[in-house]
Amino acid sequence: MHVRLMRLTQVLFLALAVLLAPAVAGAEEVTLTFWSWRTEDVDAYNQFIAAFEAEHPGIRVRFVPYRNTEYNTILATALQAGSGPDIIHLRAYGGMEPLAQAGYLMPLDDKVEALKDFNPDHLAGATNRADGRIYGVPFALQTVQVLYNVRIFEELGLKEPQTWSELLEVAEALKRAGYIPFANGAKEGWTLETFFGAVGPTFYGGSQYYEEVVAGEATFEDPRFKRAVEKMLELRPYLPDNYMGVGYTDMQVLFAQELAGMMLAGSYELGTFAQMNPDLKIGVFPIPGERAEDPAYISVYVDGSYGINANTKHPEAALAFIRFLASREYGQMFTNTLKQISAVPGTQPEDPVLAEIVELMERQGTPYLMLTAFRYGQPSGSTLLQNELQGVFAGLLSVDQAAANIQEGVASWYEPFQ
Amino acid sequence: MATRLDLAAERKATVAPRRWRAAVGKVLIYGGLTLLALIFVYPLFLMVITAFKSTREIFLDPFGLPSRWSLEPFITVWRRANFSTYFRNSVLVTAASTVLVLTCSSLAAYALGRYRFRLNNALYIFFLAGIMIPIRLGVLPLFLLMRNLNLLDTHWSLILTYAASGMPMSVFLLTGFFRTLPRELEYAARIDGCSEFQTFFRVMLPLVRPGLATVTIVNFVPWWNDFFFPLLFIQSDELKTIPLGMTIFFGQYMTDWGLLFAGMLIASLPLLLLYLVMSRQFIEGLTAGAVKG
Amino acid sequence: MVRRWMERHAYIFFLLPGLVLYGVFMVYPLASSLGYSLFHWDGLIRGPFAGLENFKTVLTRSPYQARFWGALSHNVLFFVTTFAIQTTLGLALAVLFRKKWRGFGFFQTVYFIPYTLSMVVVGFLWLLLLNPTWGAFNQFLRLIGLGSWVQPWLGQTETALWTIILVNAWRWLGFPILVFLAGLQGIPEELHEAATVDGATGWQTFRHVTLPLLAPVIGMMTILTFIWDFNAFELVFIMQGSSGNPYYSTDLLGTLFYRTAFGDSTTGGEPGQIGIASAIAVLMLIIIGAVSILGVRQMQKRQVEY
Repeated sequence: MHVRLMRLTQVLFLALAVLLAPAVAGAEEVTLTFWSWRTEDVDAYNQFIAAFEAEHPGIRVRFVPYRNTEYNTILATALQAGSGPDIIHLRAYGGMEPLAQAGYLMPLDDKVEALKDFNPDHLAGATNRADGRIYGVPFALQTVQVLYNVRIFEELGLKEPQTWSELLEVAEALKRAGYIPFANGAKEGWTLETFFGAVGPTFYGGSQYYEEVVAGEATFEDPRFKRAVEKMLELRPYLPDNYMGVGYTDMQVLFAQELAGMMLAGSYELGTFAQMNPDLKIGVFPIPGERAEDPAYISVYVDGSYGINANTKHPEAALAFIRFLASREYGQMFTNTLKQISAVPGTQPEDPVLAEIVELMERQGTPYLMLTAFRYGQPSGSTLLQNELQGVFAGLLSVDQAAANIQEGVASWYEPFQ
Repeated sequence: MATRLDLAAERKATVAPRRWRAAVGKVLIYGGLTLLALIFVYPLFLMVITAFKSTREIFLDPFGLPSRWSLEPFITVWRRANFSTYFRNSVLVTAASTVLVLTCSSLAAYALGRYRFRLNNALYIFFLAGIMIPIRLGVLPLFLLMRNLNLLDTHWSLILTYAASGMPMSVFLLTGFFRTLPRELEYAARIDGCSEFQTFFRVMLPLVRPGLATVTIVNFVPWWNDFFFPLLFIQSDELKTIPLGMTIFFGQYMTDWGLLFAGMLIASLPLLLLYLVMSRQFIEGLTAGAVKG
Repeated sequence: MVRRWMERHAYIFFLLPGLVLYGVFMVYPLASSLGYSLFHWDGLIRGPFAGLENFKTVLTRSPYQARFWGALSHNVLFFVTTFAIQTTLGLALAVLFRKKWRGFGFFQTVYFIPYTLSMVVVGFLWLLLLNPTWGAFNQFLRLIGLGSWVQPWLGQTETALWTIILVNAWRWLGFPILVFLAGLQGIPEELHEAATVDGATGWQTFRHVTLPLLAPVIGMMTILTFIWDFNAFELVFIMQGSSGNPYYSTDLLGTLFYRTAFGDSTTGGEPGQIGIASAIAVLMLIIIGAVSILGVRQMQKRQVEY
């Protein structure tokens, strides 16, 4: 009898606890807002957030994406107004630094232990150079190279080219077979920076030139830089008809719908292509040099990071979420779902193409020139490169003029050039 | 006199070929007008039919009628893009701005149109000068002002901006209306014991109702369609108006053409229907500003 | 006593709300732009007094000067072309519609429809229609045997600005037609009849009777078009991005101002430069203000002559 009574009490208590638990948690529940420019990744982020919320009852996260081209303005104005989200999807390098310098971001290096295991190179994109502190957890590494359609290559009996002339032969063969060799267009200037990021490093000599130009020992009027631009122009006959009018989404559709055999593109396209056309089989190779033994490079950069608004009302909850984003568990989930290279150490991409890119990156990677080093002042190296290249492609400027304009523009603020 | 008779005779002689020529002229004129109408409307027709098509269909048969008339793309757009919220916000902002501008401008116009005081003309010109100057050029200070007033990311930032920028044209139009009202009405109202405000509100304001309608229409269209200020002032998704919300949606579905066209159609429909239903008022309202100048 | 004073000065209370609204949210920001342009700025924080330094940068220093004069010339072309279209085609249609033949009401309604669309919709619609690979416009050219005309209309420096101007005219034209028509309806019918009885041809009536009487409306419309065209922003922003692709060929003062003020979003987050942007705004204010005042003066002078 006694025992029975105790059982009953226990059961009642348990029932009570179960009944009360949500109420207690509900009272303390915090909602974090998370702003991003990744409108394409809404579904994936909601899935990641669900995983986090399952582990952290009491914290809810709302993912709010903005259009890529308007995100910076919207974010900057909100932060200046003293509002903004709790969790911020940050751009990298010069895109992040002004926000950190203005004091809008919470430094994370002493609060997120996992950051100590990250590759120091990968943290550069989230570091404020003035105080040397880290303000974000890098989320992805991106590379820029050639993506090609494996089915079309097999159909035409084409192989990955080992030299520049082989590349032109491949392009010629695709053109003869009625395919567009390269999906790339020039309507939007920034896609030309990607174009340059794929073709350039092999011809300007990768990290050697990069280090010289960053140190101010070489300039953008260096023959190596000009040669890289001239090599881009050699591909013009293999771009779509009317390529000056072909914008970014057109490029994506051309490649994903198998109308084009190759595209000079970032690794971040893999996920998009898989969504647009699940049957598409993609291969990768770096742009080859003149001879097979010349080193071939791909450009690498840290895409951005996750940071915390210094004004957040829920610092503890925000830190819990950021620690989750720095975890191996998240890194693996990120890589598998979005088909991008996670910056979290120790993650292994499941996707074979991505695994190949990681291998290429480790062997033949070089920093993405303008984005990693010349976005810290105005006019930025990227603005200049994008628009001057557009001028060259439109036939308005010579390569020499464009190089001189880029040099003049960057030298106006970049101290090693002054 | 002689010349005129000659002319008349000549006219009679050439009447037959003239009639024939007039007929040809008419055909040419109607032909030209129809061609022009096609230029204006065919792109919109394409927008409508494309909204019902799949991307593949758009590719293969851009001009043909869609193979199925399903409302699915519209439902998808409505759900995924939060259109009901955007729509409500647009209505709210436009309506509140209209009320505010009608109140402030009718009061000011009444003072300028009916009272004699020293600064009358100077103030009238002060208001009028705003017609020439686009408010956008002051957007930077305006932005900081809204930030300091803690109004960024609220509908108030838009309402106040719109109402302020609508003042010049509204004051100009309403002053004109008030000036045409006969003096006797005022005297009669005063004799009846109305205060100044009662005279205005009970007697004079109802008489300029057409003017109020004109002011509403002149301001309504640009505010409803404005993209610039929401782009800068509004961040929260739940506060966005249709034009801003639409660009977000377009960024997201740039490769899904059918959905894009469906979204455009939904966004354009309210004003289009309003125009088709009350085109006369629309036209009179919109042209008033330019013609009265 | 107080009550009597209030009754006598009621106009002050009538004026007050409007003056506050207009003063605080329109006049004050516009006037402060001038102040802003005279200082150096670091982000949103005002730095030391700069004098006319920012204006010197915009007007003479590379790359700002090339951008400013380029954008200004595009705005001029934008306005001149729009003006030419509306005062030829637009005016002709208005004169024709005045005849009120059968069906004219229908055409009038139809021509005005694009004007009710948001610039955002117009921009996206034509962006898709003009797509060089599968846009309906080029396919239409092929369909009617003009395949050789197919071009990346928005991607070439030679055609992009013209294309934008024509798209704008497509949306805009209905408005001047209606304004002219309203103006024409204000001209007494007897004047036309008198002219015809006097043996004037259609052209002579138009040239010597209609046109002079319509001059104030045409003038007003021209000034309004000028203001609106120098204020243009959305179409280029939506169709060509904030830097006026390709190679700044569609850059307008509006887009130049926007990206200088709020940063160029396509390159990953450059902060805005408030001082220089305000200088651009002040220059735009001067241009718009000067031209509209001159225009209005000119109109008043001519009105006296007639």
